[in-house]
Amino acid sequence: MLKKALLLFANTFSISLTANSGYAMLGVIKNRFVDKYGWFTKEEMEDYIALAQSCPGPIACSSSMIIGYRAAGFLGAFFSVLGVLIPPFVMMVIVTYFYTFISTNTYVRYFIDGMQAGVCAMLTDVVLGLFDGVVRMKGVFYYVMVILSFLFVRFTKYSIFYLAIICIVVGIVKSLLVKRKADEQK
Amino acid sequence: MITILDIFLNFLKIGLFAFGGAYAVVPLIEEQMVTNTGWMNFTEFTDLLAIDELTPGPIIINSSTYIGMKLGGVPGALAATLGCIIPGAIVSLLLIHLYTKYKEIPVVTEIVRTLKCMSVALILSVLLKMFMNTLFPESISLQGMDILSAAMMVACFYVIRKYKTNPLYVMLVCGTINLIVCLISK
Repeated sequence: MLKKALLLFANTFSISLTANSGYAMLGVIKNRFVDKYGWFTKEEMEDYIALAQSCPGPIACSSSMIIGYRAAGFLGAFFSVLGVLIPPFVMMVIVTYFYTFISTNTYVRYFIDGMQAGVCAMLTDVVLGLFDGVVRMKGVFYYVMVILSFLFVRFTKYSIFYLAIICIVVGIVKSLLVKRKADEQK
Repeated sequence: MITILDIFLNFLKIGLFAFGGAYAVVPLIEEQMVTNTGWMNFTEFTDLLAIDELTPGPIIINSSTYIGMKLGGVPGALAATLGCIIPGAIVSLLLIHLYTKYKEIPVVTEIVRTLKCMSVALILSVLLKMFMNTLFPESISLQGMDILSAAMMVACFYVIRKYKTNPLYVMLVCGTINLIVCLISK
């Protein structure tokens, strides 16, 4: 257990040190824990990402805690979130002293701009994977939910909190309807 | 005089309402820090955004650490970071605990499914924004298109999809290529 927790720490630490946003971390997390270690299946990982996005706060924290918890309980959750937090914390404390150097340095700018292309490619891969999950759920209903959620995110100013609540309510209602239908057929 | 407790409580509030990842949360931080408390002015805030993009680590954590550091040194940075992640940590542990316990129940399966639809929509919307920023850094036109980024994006996507390469390496290679090309051409 402790060994797994420490391995989690080492992984989230190195991911957090290199990825420049929470969303950029998602793809790397999937690559490490699904493809490399095989701790979770692709489907489980999709569930975890969906749960992580329903939590407030940085997605990097919620996703790493969820993965840590599933891999090694509370200890795992603690170590993996610690790994996410330490690099940016130390970095930002140092950055406050070198602020002008970093913000005006064109080399840093070029490097980060280039990285962005890689982040886009990786996120496309993540989205395709998630969408594959939606296709596997088989049902027009889910496609409609994706489109409606997308419209909500793009064209309204309401918090994602409300969207999560709506999705949860819709999920409950749908499962009750399905159950009623099944009962009637008996 | 801003106390450490003030910093902690303000970031706790941000952490509690911060749904939907960095793009949704940055305006929330702005409202709390610039409009509500007046702890930062707008210029300081835009500087912060530039720093966020240039440093590794999740954007929300970077921002809290940086602001906390400016307001109250290292203790301030700790208070801000902790405040911002505590609500999410509690919610994510609660969710994954419930999920682990009740995932066989149809209602829970259905809720996770609808949340997955939301998850696709959320990431897709972030991805679109990133695409536009990366491909058309200055203006949305054919002349303004960053051809190098476009080419790298396609190549990276192919490599990640086909060989399941660690996305971290892919991102670092992209950054390096862009740095070299910009140095040669400018």
